[in-house]
Amino acid sequence: MPKTSLDLMQGTVAVLILKALSWGPMHGYDVSRSIRQRSEGELGLEDAALYQALHRLEKKGWIEAEWGLSENNRRAKFYRLTDDGRQALQAELSTWKRYVSAVSKVLETA
Amino acid sequence: MPRRRAFRFPRRSAAQVAADVEEELRFHLEMVAAELVEAGWPQEEARVEARRRFGDLDGTREYCCALDERKESRMKWMGRMEELGQDLRFAGRQLWKSPGFTLVAALTLALGIGATTAIFSVVYSSVLRPLPFREPERLVLGGFVSPKGEVQKAFSAPNFLDWKAASRKLSGVTSIENGTLNLSGDGAEPERLQGAWVGADFFKVMGIRPLAGRAFAPGEDKAGASRVAVISEKLWRGRFGGDPGAVGRSITLNGNPYTVVGILKKGEQLPSAADVWVPKVFSANEMQSRGAVFFGAIGRLAPGATLAQARAESEVIGRRLSAQYPDANASYFKSMTVIPLADQILGDTRKPLLILLGAVGVVLLIACVNVANLLLVRAAVREGEIVIRTALGAGRGRIVRQLLTESLVLALAGGAAGVALAVWIVKGLIALGPKGIPRLEQAQVDGTALLFALGISLLTGVLFGLAPALQTSRTDLGGAIREGTRGSKGRAGTRARGALVILETALAVVLLAGAGLLIRSFSRLQSVSPGFQPENAVTFKLQLPEGRYSTEDKLRGFTGALMERMRQLPGVEEAGATTTSGMPFGGSVDVLTFSVAGRPPAPVDKEEAIRIAISTPGAFKALGLRVVRGRAFTPQDRAGAPQVAVINEAAARKHFPGENPLGHRIDLGWTVDGVHRGGEIVGVVADFKQDALEAEIEPELFLPYDQAPLESLSVVLRTRPGTRSLDSTIRAQVRALDPDLPVYGLQPLGELVAGSTSQSRFYMLLLGGFAAIALLLAAVGTYGVIAYAVRQRTQEIGIRMALGASRDRVMGMVVRQGLTLALLGAGVGLLLAFLVTRAMRSLLYEVSVSDPMTYLGVAGLLLAVAAVAAYLPARRAARTEPQLALRGEV
Repeated sequence: MPKTSLDLMQGTVAVLILKALSWGPMHGYDVSRSIRQRSEGELGLEDAALYQALHRLEKKGWIEAEWGLSENNRRAKFYRLTDDGRQALQAELSTWKRYVSAVSKVLETA
Repeated sequence: MPRRRAFRFPRRSAAQVAADVEEELRFHLEMVAAELVEAGWPQEEARVEARRRFGDLDGTREYCCALDERKESRMKWMGRMEELGQDLRFAGRQLWKSPGFTLVAALTLALGIGATTAIFSVVYSSVLRPLPFREPERLVLGGFVSPKGEVQKAFSAPNFLDWKAASRKLSGVTSIENGTLNLSGDGAEPERLQGAWVGADFFKVMGIRPLAGRAFAPGEDKAGASRVAVISEKLWRGRFGGDPGAVGRSITLNGNPYTVVGILKKGEQLPSAADVWVPKVFSANEMQSRGAVFFGAIGRLAPGATLAQARAESEVIGRRLSAQYPDANASYFKSMTVIPLADQILGDTRKPLLILLGAVGVVLLIACVNVANLLLVRAAVREGEIVIRTALGAGRGRIVRQLLTESLVLALAGGAAGVALAVWIVKGLIALGPKGIPRLEQAQVDGTALLFALGISLLTGVLFGLAPALQTSRTDLGGAIREGTRGSKGRAGTRARGALVILETALAVVLLAGAGLLIRSFSRLQSVSPGFQPENAVTFKLQLPEGRYSTEDKLRGFTGALMERMRQLPGVEEAGATTTSGMPFGGSVDVLTFSVAGRPPAPVDKEEAIRIAISTPGAFKALGLRVVRGRAFTPQDRAGAPQVAVINEAAARKHFPGENPLGHRIDLGWTVDGVHRGGEIVGVVADFKQDALEAEIEPELFLPYDQAPLESLSVVLRTRPGTRSLDSTIRAQVRALDPDLPVYGLQPLGELVAGSTSQSRFYMLLLGGFAAIALLLAAVGTYGVIAYAVRQRTQEIGIRMALGASRDRVMGMVVRQGLTLALLGAGVGLLLAFLVTRAMRSLLYEVSVSDPMTYLGVAGLLLAVAAVAAYLPARRAARTEPQLALRGEV
């Protein structure tokens, strides 16, 4: 069922972005790089999906954006977590953990 | 809850949104490319690889732009709502903080909006609402243009049928004859009903469908058809208790059985307020007499035809009928015409009601002016607040919007209270309203009226709020700070307030002049002597059904017995009866052509006509009429005795100038069995008002009842002063003579006269009430402005008094200021009134629209009220203590 997997994927991308932004404000390129680094290259998040998700979250009010200067002094759009976004992240994390443990229980049963 | 931001960035346009997305994505691609170059990729290939790794770039760009734009527009809307919410909360707080101002302003507006909404409800219900027919604007009433150019709206059967057959521009032509019918049987008290005899196609032409049952079928107005009737919803709910089986029931009308075939919805009784409709069957006699005019004709314009075309066609048909039948028609008319039915039904009501609506609109305008004045005073008080808000960066537009929000909140509060007031006023108007205003009783504060109230509330809010808001917001920061708390625009504000007072005074003068003219006209009307004695007299009507009173002997027998019984009643001094047309203010007229014996016969188109009444011997005395010459009728003027007649003074003046009318013989154009009715003039009776106090007295001829008996009777009983109500005795006596005969129109004769002036009284009272409110509001306005000016000039007055000005002098100065405003207002107002009251000419009786007495009286009244309004603050000014004033401690 492709629709379910897409929803799951969108949800996963969202929670990854929220988690990344919980370390501090960053621009889209930083988000992508930090996810890649933390997953040690295992999670290759497609850039198109990342940016679409960023704008979706912004519209939802979970993150907000402000233009600022990047480390190499270029104008860049920085995202930061809002209070709503922080709460959403907590909720998503616990859902995710329950999901993982449930799936693991099934898969690890001999 | 998201944090509320103290500052908001300006919202982005679609182009800006697109540019931002583009820049964000470009930044990303360049960063990835740079990363690749660092890892050893050649510049150009790194860029291509970055694009490739990104995925669907165009799709993302589009997706992000769309999302962002939606977000922007939502934020914009939320921002506006938030601002409005702020404004509303702030407005509420501001109004709450000064309850005195808020209460006075809201009550003033409630009065204005309430009265306006109430009058609008009445005007809408009566005049503006479409008539309850299909395409009512396409219905017309037929009329004949007399040789003198007057339009007569009555037809004879042959002329009606010829017109109906010849007309091509009318798709339907039907007849309606109004009258009354006796409803009896089923054991209940016999009842007199307003009825209408109509063509079988009447309901089809009018476009009315019955609530239940059916309309008349074609052919039901032909001789020999079964007797059917349509009844009103009112009669059905009343007499028949809303019985669902009423359709198909048999009822007795004028002694004959009729089957009810349909029930007509309430409010659809126009053009006549009938309760029962029966098909009109033309008798053989009626089909023959082209000269017997007795009913009205209504037509519907054919598809595509215009009123002008129908009118032109009628004119042609009319000329032809006049030429074709000169004996019957030529003296009566020379051509025909059609007039819109709505003009006939609403014509007399439209003008006075619209004048009232205009008048009440002026009251509302004055209320607005007063509130604007209050706001200007407040503006001066609030200057400090506005300065601070401007200094903190609020733009002028923002401040105007805030002040306007306050005005609108105030106006809506006033409007809500006004609607409650309007409901109450409308009920009162319906209760007090005179007869003859069509559909008045259906007036109510309905959806349309509520919408109207909302509309005028918003309009007044902007009207009284805008000017003060603009002036208040025009704060000159530097000037305000330099002048401290005293206010930088004292002078401009005073001038503006003065102008407003002049304006409202002028408007009040216009209303006062209008009301004054109506009052003068009404008192003239009241002082008119009717010529008969309305006090201590009772009147009632009877209609003897033709079926049971088929011969003249039977009529004479009944009427003679009735008069005998009436004279025996305790307290009755004299009893008389006359035909309805002979009853003063009876509402109907019979006119016949006549000739005087011994004079050369007049050519057919120059025949003289005269009003006819049939009276019993006691009628003149019972009415209180004086016989000025000769004698009144006596019981000896019976059938078979020499025929006699009595005329009134007007007839003597017109037809027998300079000669003694007694002894002349008159023959009427009314033959019975080949004999002309008429007789030798034996007396002249004093003139009396026949139709209304304001109407001219017309020549009239009286015949003795026994020599020309008729079925319709108006009875008058002259009673001794202090006689108790005879109502039940009268009914019992009539029942004893004929148990199926209803007594109707039973009332004191005085009420009949009062009823004829009730419309004039209604309009006078309403316009007078509006004028009184306007005067009060103008006085309050004048007082407010003078009082405020005195407070502002306290220091100046203190200096004057310290320099030796006397208290009288100070008072004179202040009162003069008030009178100057009043004089200017009165001058402008009188000029306006002179122009505006012209519209009232047709409502006035023997008073000129530029009646100098009225205008002088109005000006005097206004100046007196203004002097009082200015005197109160003047007295306060004169009590100023110079020392305190100079130290600025007052």
